[in-house]
Amino acid sequence: MMFVWREAFAGLRRNLTMSIAMVITTAISLGLLGAGLLAVRTIDRTEDLYYSLIAVQVALDEPTSADDRDCSSPVCTGLRGELEASPLVASVEYESRDDAFARFQRIYAGQSILQLVRPQSLPATLRVTMADPLRGEEIVTQYTGRPGVRNVVDQRSTVADLFSFLGSVRNATFGLAVVQALAALLLISNTIQLSAFTRRTEVGIMRLVGATRWYTQVPFLIEAVVTGVVGAVLATGGLVLGKVFFLDGLMSGRLLANTIPPIGMSDVLGYVGPVLVVVGAVIATATGYVTLRLYVRT
Amino acid sequence: MIRLENVSKVYPTSARPALDDVSVEVERGEFAFLIGPSGSGKSTLLRLLIREDVPSSGTVWVANWNVGGLAGRRVPRLRQRMGCVFQDFRLLPNKTVAENVAFALEVIGKPRHTIRTVVPEVLDLVDLAGKAERMPSELSGGEAQRVAIARAFVNRPLVLLADEPTGNLDPETSAGIMTLLERINRTGTTVLMATHDRQIVDSMRRRVVELSAGRLARDDARGVYGVAR
Repeated sequence: MMFVWREAFAGLRRNLTMSIAMVITTAISLGLLGAGLLAVRTIDRTEDLYYSLIAVQVALDEPTSADDRDCSSPVCTGLRGELEASPLVASVEYESRDDAFARFQRIYAGQSILQLVRPQSLPATLRVTMADPLRGEEIVTQYTGRPGVRNVVDQRSTVADLFSFLGSVRNATFGLAVVQALAALLLISNTIQLSAFTRRTEVGIMRLVGATRWYTQVPFLIEAVVTGVVGAVLATGGLVLGKVFFLDGLMSGRLLANTIPPIGMSDVLGYVGPVLVVVGAVIATATGYVTLRLYVRT
Repeated sequence: MIRLENVSKVYPTSARPALDDVSVEVERGEFAFLIGPSGSGKSTLLRLLIREDVPSSGTVWVANWNVGGLAGRRVPRLRQRMGCVFQDFRLLPNKTVAENVAFALEVIGKPRHTIRTVVPEVLDLVDLAGKAERMPSELSGGEAQRVAIARAFVNRPLVLLADEPTGNLDPETSAGIMTLLERINRTGTTVLMATHDRQIVDSMRRRVVELSAGRLARDDARGVYGVAR
């Protein structure tokens, strides 16, 4: 087997510039793929984070809200009982007008809007935590317009914009990754053909002395796999650098500090890195195999 | 050892068949010349024997293999039992003499310790023991052909095929090559040699199979090259 490895590395050295181009292209496409995977992971985590916080708010109308500290009015008790009985609902919490005002004061402490708001302008609310956060819309349709209800808001729709932004980042990254991957595939395929052509005499002699097709072609496959793996390692290195020098700064900034959960080093090295190595190796092998089948007949 | 039964080979680009209904048999351990002018079908016949090509009709037997009907993945097994030598030597220019010979063992997966003992033995047999570390470019034509023969013989093939092995060599060197091929033949290896070299054929007095325009023209047990040529 030593022989096969020697041949493979001789092949990589022989087309050194081509090998470098191949590795770089592979690294870029895998890097983009890795970035996409990190985006997906971040989106999932952000969703988890937000879904544990968000709720459907059933705001009560003025007469029902007035002077009810603990949801003791018949309308409020009725609504609350009905919500708690629903299989969609995990729990219901009552926030009276005074509690709402206290929270409002806390959030906007020191800001001028505080002067304009009185307890009377805030409704009492039933905060409904969903068993399945994705089905809040059903509560909205069921309870909108009910007696005693002012309006019903699914908070998920307010964070939907954030998710759709993260989603398009992910899609754009994957799109670029696919285009780059195509370029990498063509380069790998081309290099193998070139490599096979420069070694055709050698391969012819090998076949003549009874080498199997498999034996003559394994060096080319190894060339491809080495390219894929080296590309994946470089891509992972690139992601680490990107995380340390770009993302970490961005995420700790004022805007995003507590909005998006940070990406950890373990996400890059423990999850994306191994995935990229496997993907790189598998894709390179497949490309190499198909190329040899289709174009190299010796 | 080698048997052709009504073998024809037609190339799509040519009107005349390269081989036309040829039947011939070479026994185990025999030494036979295959003669005939260029284009008479000698090379085609050799190509069919090592399954570089398949016959258009008829059957080619080597040992117990029906060569034409062999599945592609079994072809290496056939070739591992055959040795081939060519006019242009076909050595690998970036490998030493010893590496060139070892190559034939490496590609079929022989263990390293076997290679280390067998290669010097074979180089000794072809009188190149002192040149194991030379590169092919440093060898004379005769030496290069000896390396090629060593490589063809190192697996102890059943059959050694030689396609004009002396075509590029002067008469004296050619004689040395022939001595070597005879020596190999005496170990029990069947040798089939395609040649144009009248002097060699006439001096050896071995079996002569002559092809002419793809047909079997003559088959003499102890023949000469021919009077008319």
